[in-house]
Amino acid sequence: MRIGNKALPVGKISLLIILLLVGLVLVGCTDIRGSPEGGSGATISGGTIFLSPSLKQAGGFGCATPVTEGKLVAVNAETGVQRWEVALGGAAPSGGFGCAQTTLPVAVYGSPVFSEELVYVAGYNGKVYALNAESGALRWVYPREGNMEPIVSGLVIGLDKLYFGCSDGNVYALDAATGDIQPGFPFTTEDKIWSTPAYDAGTLYVGSFDKKLYAIDADDGSEKWQFEAEGSFASTPLVDNGTIYVGTLDRYFYAINAADGTLRWEFQAEKWFWTRAVVFGNTIYVGCFDNKVYALNALTGVEITEFDLESPVRSWPVLSEDRVLIATEEGKIYTIDAVNNQFGLFADLAEKIYAPLSLNEGVLYVYSQDQNLHALNADTGVRLWIQPIN
Amino acid sequence: MGIGEIWNLIAVEPVMNVLVVLTSVLFNNFGLAIIALTLMVNGAMLPLTLKQIRASRAMQELQPKIAELKKKYGKDKEKMAREQMKLYKESGVSPAGCLLPLLIQMPVWIALFQSIMRVLAVIPENLVGLSQYLYSWPVVYSTVPLSNEFLWLNLATGDIFLALLVGASMWVQQKMVMTPSPDPAQKTQSSLMLWILPIMFAWLTLSFPSGLALFWVTSNLFRIGLQYWIGGWGGLVKSSPKKDTGRDKKYKQRIAAVEEAPAGGADIVPSSAQEEGLSYEESGGKRPDRGGGHPKSIRDTKPKSRRGGGHRRKRG
Repeated sequence: MRIGNKALPVGKISLLIILLLVGLVLVGCTDIRGSPEGGSGATISGGTIFLSPSLKQAGGFGCATPVTEGKLVAVNAETGVQRWEVALGGAAPSGGFGCAQTTLPVAVYGSPVFSEELVYVAGYNGKVYALNAESGALRWVYPREGNMEPIVSGLVIGLDKLYFGCSDGNVYALDAATGDIQPGFPFTTEDKIWSTPAYDAGTLYVGSFDKKLYAIDADDGSEKWQFEAEGSFASTPLVDNGTIYVGTLDRYFYAINAADGTLRWEFQAEKWFWTRAVVFGNTIYVGCFDNKVYALNALTGVEITEFDLESPVRSWPVLSEDRVLIATEEGKIYTIDAVNNQFGLFADLAEKIYAPLSLNEGVLYVYSQDQNLHALNADTGVRLWIQPIN
Repeated sequence: MGIGEIWNLIAVEPVMNVLVVLTSVLFNNFGLAIIALTLMVNGAMLPLTLKQIRASRAMQELQPKIAELKKKYGKDKEKMAREQMKLYKESGVSPAGCLLPLLIQMPVWIALFQSIMRVLAVIPENLVGLSQYLYSWPVVYSTVPLSNEFLWLNLATGDIFLALLVGASMWVQQKMVMTPSPDPAQKTQSSLMLWILPIMFAWLTLSFPSGLALFWVTSNLFRIGLQYWIGGWGGLVKSSPKKDTGRDKKYKQRIAAVEEAPAGGADIVPSSAQEEGLSYEESGGKRPDRGGGHPKSIRDTKPKSRRGGGHRRKRG
């Protein structure tokens, strides 16, 4: 190789290319792999909002440093003023080397739940925390020593027990007052559980990555039935009128008989179902990663209509009287009139929305990935207040 | 559409989806899928790889002669460059032959690397992100998310044994293509490359998911096998110094003859050793190329594969 009369130093160029390749690999890896961010929805009780903010990755070149310290925050629902915040300790070691992170961040994906005077939250670090709702004082933590596999699933309360799924493939039931594991649990599936279980009349419905939906006796942990789909379950089932409605990663949305696990109908979309559905009368509304919200006949599964929102739907929708409020990842919130299926833009937050929407006394609470908690008038969409929670 | 999106569309997405399909075919085993795809990609790029290996070997073969040129024309850079180009031309070797295949292969490796990282999708954010890259094939949708377990490995986290394997296999691969150079500067550079890259990659492997390490190890082993097939163990086996053979002498005589020829006709590179009346042994350098005569073209000197044996075949 020659430029004019000068021969190019091939060895050096080769070395340069290799180093460039390594550099690209390094930078590419940092971008692709990322770190768990979490960011829960808001749970409202007694005029207080409980939520866990998402974790922001600290800026840095090459080995970016993830923030590992998750927390639970209590905010005045009327004013947005923070009441207290508690750091959720117990980051789990991840066993990484070099640039790899050495602790699993305490990211929280599932919304906190409230019962009696306690508020509960589960972390990606594999721990469940029970805190006093008034003060934030820690009541108990499970497990007391060490960490479980990451918990992505949210918590659900029934029969004074706290239920959740874990990445180790187990469904756990803890005594809500003491944090003790209950007899008959954990219930074991064959793969990770990331979806939040649904509790209805003494039965727990939980989907697993092993492509099965399980009905479990919430009292003794015995299996009632299982339903097998073509793809993994990542979304939370909706139980209504003896039927379970749930979407999967095989692009199907299923209606399953709650009594025996038989299929009633199925509906195919173009991409994954990640979010939970809502029901109004005989119509099911469910968002999909194909940027659409489908309105389906709850009895037959026939599509009534569809709404193109131009962005995937990950956040759980809410029902406000006869309107469905549903948010897209891009930060737009739409309203669908469930009576005549007219839809329109409700609000544009221009911030990423992954967390479930929450509705309480005419106010819609939305936590964005930009770490802002928005309070909007559920009728008009007018912003009441915005509070940074980080 | 940005350049990143175009890259994803034409390079990353196809590889990712093939990876998922392979996982489904290979008993839902992502580790086997990585190995299979790495071998497939290596197989597809075999012509380029062969070209690169042969060009690299040919360049290595020329090193003693380049060293001779440096001795003679070291001070006159322009003349040195001219003579070096003449040597390349005469030997039928193109430095671009080493670089071009490497440049063409680079995007493929980067796409493969990115695909493995993305398909692993350990955290919820990554799994959600994965959905936008998947084709509408039922087999893809029923296979994702993939299991991270393979043998004793969690493919999503680093593994020290695999890191050592990456470093060792890379060292072996590099050592095989290396021939001793009489030029001390070249020797130092080669030694640095021989150790620094394997150590660096082993360290990187510790930081990355072992799925990626599996890809590197498979790729290195494939290259080792290929290099063995082409030219035996190469630089891995120590070669012993050997006296000038009749062919060596003939070669030097030819060079001397060319040196005496009028300017412009010096297509064959002059030997400084001959000019100074020194043999390789006398000048203190070991002669790695024990073949006789100066070949018309390096292509003509392609060594035959054989089992074991560290000695190179004589040329001619």
